[in-house]
Amino acid sequence: MAKTYDYLFKLLLIGDSGVGKTSILFRFSEDAFNISFISTIGIDFKIRTIDLDGKKVKLQIWDTAGQERFRTITTAYYRGSMGIMLVYDVTNEKSFENIKNWIRNIEENASADVEKMILGNKCDLDAKRQVSKERGEQLAIEYQIKFVETSAKDSLNVEYAFYTLARDIKAKMEKKQEASNPPGARSGAHQLRANEQQRKPTSWLSRCSVL
Amino acid sequence: MDDDLPTDFQVIVVGTGMVESIVAAACSRIHKNVLHLDSSDHYGGLWASYNFDGLQKFIKEVTSDPKKQVQVYNLIEQWYIEKESPPEEEKKEGEAEDGKTEPPKKIWSQANFASEYRKFNIDMTPKLLFSRGPLVELLISSNIARYAEFRCVTRVLTWLNDRLMPVPCSRADVFATEAVSIVEKRMLMKMLTSIVGYNEEEMDNEFKDWNDKTFKEYLTHKGLTPNLIHYVLFAIAGGTEDMPCLDGVKECKKFLMSLGRYGNTPFLWPMYGSGELPQCFCRLCAVFGGVYCLNRPIDTVATKTVDEGKTVVVIESKSKTLNCDHLVIGINECPKDLVSPEPAETCDISKAVFITNGTIMKSEKEPLTLLRFPPLIEGGGAVTVLEVGPATGSCPKGLFVVYFITNKVTDAETDLKPYAEKIFDMSGGDQTVESEKPKCLWSLFYNVKDTSAAVESAVPCVHVCSGPDAGLDFDRAVHQAEQIFKKICPGEEFLPRAPDPEEIVFEDDVTHGPEFEREQEDEADGDTSKE
Repeated sequence: MAKTYDYLFKLLLIGDSGVGKTSILFRFSEDAFNISFISTIGIDFKIRTIDLDGKKVKLQIWDTAGQERFRTITTAYYRGSMGIMLVYDVTNEKSFENIKNWIRNIEENASADVEKMILGNKCDLDAKRQVSKERGEQLAIEYQIKFVETSAKDSLNVEYAFYTLARDIKAKMEKKQEASNPPGARSGAHQLRANEQQRKPTSWLSRCSVL
Repeated sequence: MDDDLPTDFQVIVVGTGMVESIVAAACSRIHKNVLHLDSSDHYGGLWASYNFDGLQKFIKEVTSDPKKQVQVYNLIEQWYIEKESPPEEEKKEGEAEDGKTEPPKKIWSQANFASEYRKFNIDMTPKLLFSRGPLVELLISSNIARYAEFRCVTRVLTWLNDRLMPVPCSRADVFATEAVSIVEKRMLMKMLTSIVGYNEEEMDNEFKDWNDKTFKEYLTHKGLTPNLIHYVLFAIAGGTEDMPCLDGVKECKKFLMSLGRYGNTPFLWPMYGSGELPQCFCRLCAVFGGVYCLNRPIDTVATKTVDEGKTVVVIESKSKTLNCDHLVIGINECPKDLVSPEPAETCDISKAVFITNGTIMKSEKEPLTLLRFPPLIEGGGAVTVLEVGPATGSCPKGLFVVYFITNKVTDAETDLKPYAEKIFDMSGGDQTVESEKPKCLWSLFYNVKDTSAAVESAVPCVHVCSGPDAGLDFDRAVHQAEQIFKKICPGEEFLPRAPDPEEIVFEDDVTHGPEFEREQEDEADGDTSKE
């Protein structure tokens, strides 16, 4: 089967429970918003292919499966991720303070050059706001990470956020390729599939029949 | 933060080892309400992988806490390199990184290990997967394979005539081998072909007189030369002189049946180490609604009979009472009084980990090696060695991690050091010197209590999971997990295929009845995905 994309990026959503990670994911992947998503149950990852400067970029966006609730994200979740959306809720001070902990968690577990972006979600709920936009910006400057306030409900800046993160990853990748340094470490690793193309000689017998 | 932990579950799983994690995933997958706890702050228990920092913490914990030494003991860590790099070496290293050229041979110091600690993934229970073994089939059929990546083991080696020898697995290997003559190759082929080819009836017929004889006797009877007997008995069957004939035949068949699926050998190694695999099952459990809480020791376990004679398990944990219909608990977390009878005394496991500055046998591409030593010490067992390099995510570039596993005779160091000295230079000293053997830079010897025997619990709704065995693969763990699952959920399918995200259709524009919300939930559980 021909590849239908030029790049495949694995992205993660990270942040406290209830900040709207799943809503952001659904706004971006399905252009849908459903207020009844209270926690992340049954959602593994979603896929959306976007067009960036004429290249088809397939974004595979992973949700935490609720394992953030008691800070029990598996180290396996971070493997191979190229970009991470750090999400807090502008109406929840604690979720904002915890961004620093999540960054520490990422530094411990994700690849050192993973692209990051901070999202202050639920910015439509101005009346309940606890975290000002300025504080979000300040934090982002402190860590030198891009920042935007989003509303999954009103579909505000969600597209912008994913496009920005994807563009940054693509730029970094192309820069690396230009330096003629193909990512050697991971090539050769593979996933197991049901329809794995079996190598023709399937037994010792046929392999060595020349003898 | 733990305070909003719900208290009532159908299944509570304590411990995140391999068996526990598979059972948790299987229960959650068929929509049992699952809580999964671990007393420590990381996944895997004795099956975990650690980065270098985590490993240091583990060593400290074990050596300072006598209670932990029930499971892990005789722990000896040793460095063969300087604490700090000489200052000029530091400069050279910086240049190399900018200029993209590899320095001839890096001189490693303990400080380098500390600064690159994250690049290490060191396994407490390193294991391989047979390409057609039960775990590979389960990962594929359940779709849990999407959470993991694997590398093929590139070669199988053995120790023959006092040197390392490749064992011919593929045609290429056969051509490369000079140790086996053409006549011997034919003989070997005939022998192996027959083992693979036997159906059950033929097998019974062929081996009816071999029940109480050894595999070696059988191979000798078949006229194999000593070299070939060595290959088949030690390297392919992974046996010893006294391996019973039928065990040998079965092991051979398993090896041969897994050839030709993914690579040149029958084996796969999980990227970032075996400790990833329990986590993959945990992820599936969470995706289907399982609740996770680490750092959560349990204090007591009791059972209570409620109305209609139904028994519930009551667990006290951090002054919270948790209730469940079934408790699945790792043997090492399990209160003694729940285990009945005491498991029989078994032979413990001797293990060692070495970090070296090169592979044990040069090859074109980065190798991933299984080496099987025949017993070299009187009364000792065979020793399994796994060598993994940077491409597996196990260590920084320029290093290899090498695992040794055998059944305990004396203690880990006495049992394994003589083998290590055969293939490593353990004298310390100048790392730049080119030599046959790679330099050992760091080593760790330890014994693990063998808790792999199946254990019955004293209470029907408590299910005890075994610890890791000394075997090469995960087959026993998979088998046991399935047995436990069948007891908890009789008649239910064990880990049916989880839908791919693309298959989960969110019917936003479909008019739902008043039960919309509930439907939505079911849907998210992957229920309606099949259409």
